Amino acid sequence: MGGLSLIRNVGKLLRKTKEKKSLIQSNYQDSKPADALDANFNLNVETLRSVYDNCSDVMFRSFLLFGKTRAMLIYIEGLSDVEGIEEYVLSPLMQESSKEPQPLNEFIEHKMPVPKVVKVNMLADCIESISSGNPILLYEGESDGFSLGLSKWEKRAIEEPMAEGGVRGSREGFIESLEVNTSQLRRIIKSPALKIQSMKIGTYTRTNVSIAYIDGLADKTLIEEITTRLERIKIDGILESEYIEEMIEDNPYSPFPQIMTTERPDVACSCLLEGRAVILVEGTPFTLIAPISFFSLIQSQEDYAQRFMAGTFIRWLRFIFMGLSLLLPSLYVAILTFHHEAVPTALLLSSAASRESVPFPAIVEALAMEITFEALREAGVRLPKQVGSAVSIVGALVIGQASVQAGLVSAPMVIVVAITGIASFMMPRYIAGIAFRMLRFPMMLLAGTLGLLGIMMGIIAIVIHLCSLRSFGVPYLTPLAPLKGQELKDVLWRAPWWMMDTRPRLTGDSNVYRQSSEQGPNPKRGSETE
Amino acid sequence: MKSVLLLLGISGTTPFLSGCWDRTEITDLAIVTAAAIDKKDNNQIELSIQVFIPSSISGGGGGQGGGSSQGGGAVTTLVRYENGSNISDALSKLQSKLPRKVFWGHCKIFVFGEKLAKEGIQEQLDFLLRHPQPREKANVYVSKGKAKPILESLPPLENYSGEVLRELSDLHIGMLVTMQDLDEMLTGIPQAAALPFVKILPPGKGQTKLQGIPYIVGTAVFKKDKMTGMMTEKETRGLLWLRDEVESYTVTIKPKGVKGKISLSPVSAKVKIIPQIINGKWKLLVRVNTDGSVIQNGTNLNLSNPKSLKAAERAYQKDIEKRIEMAFLNTQHKKADILGLGKDFYRKYPKQFNKIENQWNEVFSELEVEVDVAAHIRRQGYINKPAGLSEEEVKDK
Repeated sequence: MGGLSLIRNVGKLLRKTKEKKSLIQSNYQDSKPADALDANFNLNVETLRSVYDNCSDVMFRSFLLFGKTRAMLIYIEGLSDVEGIEEYVLSPLMQESSKEPQPLNEFIEHKMPVPKVVKVNMLADCIESISSGNPILLYEGESDGFSLGLSKWEKRAIEEPMAEGGVRGSREGFIESLEVNTSQLRRIIKSPALKIQSMKIGTYTRTNVSIAYIDGLADKTLIEEITTRLERIKIDGILESEYIEEMIEDNPYSPFPQIMTTERPDVACSCLLEGRAVILVEGTPFTLIAPISFFSLIQSQEDYAQRFMAGTFIRWLRFIFMGLSLLLPSLYVAILTFHHEAVPTALLLSSAASRESVPFPAIVEALAMEITFEALREAGVRLPKQVGSAVSIVGALVIGQASVQAGLVSAPMVIVVAITGIASFMMPRYIAGIAFRMLRFPMMLLAGTLGLLGIMMGIIAIVIHLCSLRSFGVPYLTPLAPLKGQELKDVLWRAPWWMMDTRPRLTGDSNVYRQSSEQGPNPKRGSETE
Repeated sequence: MKSVLLLLGISGTTPFLSGCWDRTEITDLAIVTAAAIDKKDNNQIELSIQVFIPSSISGGGGGQGGGSSQGGGAVTTLVRYENGSNISDALSKLQSKLPRKVFWGHCKIFVFGEKLAKEGIQEQLDFLLRHPQPREKANVYVSKGKAKPILESLPPLENYSGEVLRELSDLHIGMLVTMQDLDEMLTGIPQAAALPFVKILPPGKGQTKLQGIPYIVGTAVFKKDKMTGMMTEKETRGLLWLRDEVESYTVTIKPKGVKGKISLSPVSAKVKIIPQIINGKWKLLVRVNTDGSVIQNGTNLNLSNPKSLKAAERAYQKDIEKRIEMAFLNTQHKKADILGLGKDFYRKYPKQFNKIENQWNEVFSELEVEVDVAAHIRRQGYINKPAGLSEEEVKDK
């Protein structure tokens, strides 16, 4: 009874904190200024100065328009093109000798050599413009401000994606800048059907988030659903696309991701062409792709950049190693502790010989080795480059040789752990590999307590879970469950391109046909001339 | 949510409650590689088991190298034995002498001593078939004399003597009978069985006494569960022909009218046994279709000549006929239908067979047999004429 009341109390506590959170959120929203700009130049300047109080990086540059009218240029140092401001704004506007053109706003809007001039009349828009690097020009006698498109800041050059390498295919990766990322999409898909909708999320970060899709391929209701889910997000800041992923996912309590991430424009574009939507987030090279199926996670762009036989072969290899990464240590443990008769005699004898001096039961040995391996891998990702080789040497020695020689670990176990480690790197999507790496541990426990029966139970549980998952309404195991024979061509093998005449069906009945189905080898005579 | 968490918590901890009750580490097992069962004088049996010693193989645990001193002949198994009124009794006594749990799952060799075989193996066979661990696919043998020395021998080439027997059986030189086959033969209509008969090849000069290996010398013939006689190696070969188990086999023939012999290998054969009842007479037709390639020609015949080839083929055919007849007569003489011919007759003539079922052994011993061999020599190797003979010496016509 005590346990139950404890749970009830915890529940009450949770509810209380929820109420508090909603209070905090409403406070944040109130702080957003919603006033219009005033006709009084001085008042506007004062308001902006008070908004940017104690912001030493915000510059207020006051000058005289053509030597007469008082004017103020407001921008943030480092976000705006200072040379451009000097050359295209200040120098033509500060010429005292020339006559002041009339009307002044017409001149600024149409005759200034600046790429983009937008009239703004709300205080909030002014702040938005300044924060995103576009200087605001205010002058006496005008109730509107002018946002000048002169934003320019330092950004990383386009580089090869770090987490998704490949031998053949594009070497470009997304970067942290949203404009550059959308431009990369646009450079690949030039059709105006590529739509990019933007919104801002995060009360403090005001992060730009764009939804890209191809009009006519993506289901309209799907885009609406994504937009509404994105609009529901109330958060103080977005620092990585994962924040959004968790907020809009169908089932966040699953180890399997229902939204795919990629840092490759070509992967994003291939998904766009299949009618999926891509969510780009400012500040991270990782874009989100939804909806996906489980099999999207084990397809790599490399499959399509190679001959279809090679692609198929690699895909099958990946299927095998996906199973191994999940099951190999648990199978080894189960057979060594429960099913000794299931291995060939010679193998049993040699593994018996190697385990003779090992002081631990197989399950303990396997768990310890796997955890050590995971720790080593994590350390390898995190540690500074200078000490990288030291750790890998120590790791290899400790895990590999020394522990075997000391008789703490058997050699076959090292082999099993090593194969499992390699297998989990076979997954082209890092995040899917992690899911299997995590599930390996409960599987090992099941194997150590119930043997093959436990493994069977674990597999059944995982399959049931996978069947129950959905990604934006699309069953996670399509096209296997529900079975769609046509789409198996891109799951069980990688069909040659001239066979890929239909798109995978996600939600809705968007354009099904990708290309003409008569492009196989030996085209019919006459079809070419027509 | 709360109830789900509670349910998850409860079900998540249940695996630990069981406490891994049937978990057995491999280091707690005494892996039996072969077993021998002998009959003692005082109506007791002696069970000997050959147990693998894991630390004898310098595997991963033993550090690097292993050392050159651990060459061939290292002791990898130990033999323990115990008396008892039957196997299970002996086994329970044996277990008290072994610090590890006896594990039968990898025991692929069972050897019955000659004395036990003659007095009946049924009682012991029951244990081996009933117990869940021993495999039905294990090979069964009968040894000449006591069976225990076969386990104790230390073969120089293989790791342990059980492995020697298994490998020899896989070559199909002698009979290969698994426990399942044995059970089927004994429970079938003819109630006769044949098991490979093994004895120890005496060690050569300079070898230690234990280094002799067991090898298959013939076939032990069982009626019901008792061994009644045995067949020699040569008769066994004929038996293999009748059972259609011929594999990688060498036949040496002597063609008529010439000096020397011709050897054929490998020989492949298709054997068909056709039971017949003609005018109330029970008859057996054995139809053999066999091919061979010449590997040695000690005669002066040029085998690329069709005439001499025919002569060789005729000799080949005669040889096979003789082998088969000899083997068959031998089994008839013993009145033991180890070929399971009763089953064949029953399938074809169920009514007639049911009438004579009780006298089947008599009918079998008077069965008329007709052997029809079609023998061909398909390949003659890289050379046509016999090697090392001048043109004149070769008989071309």
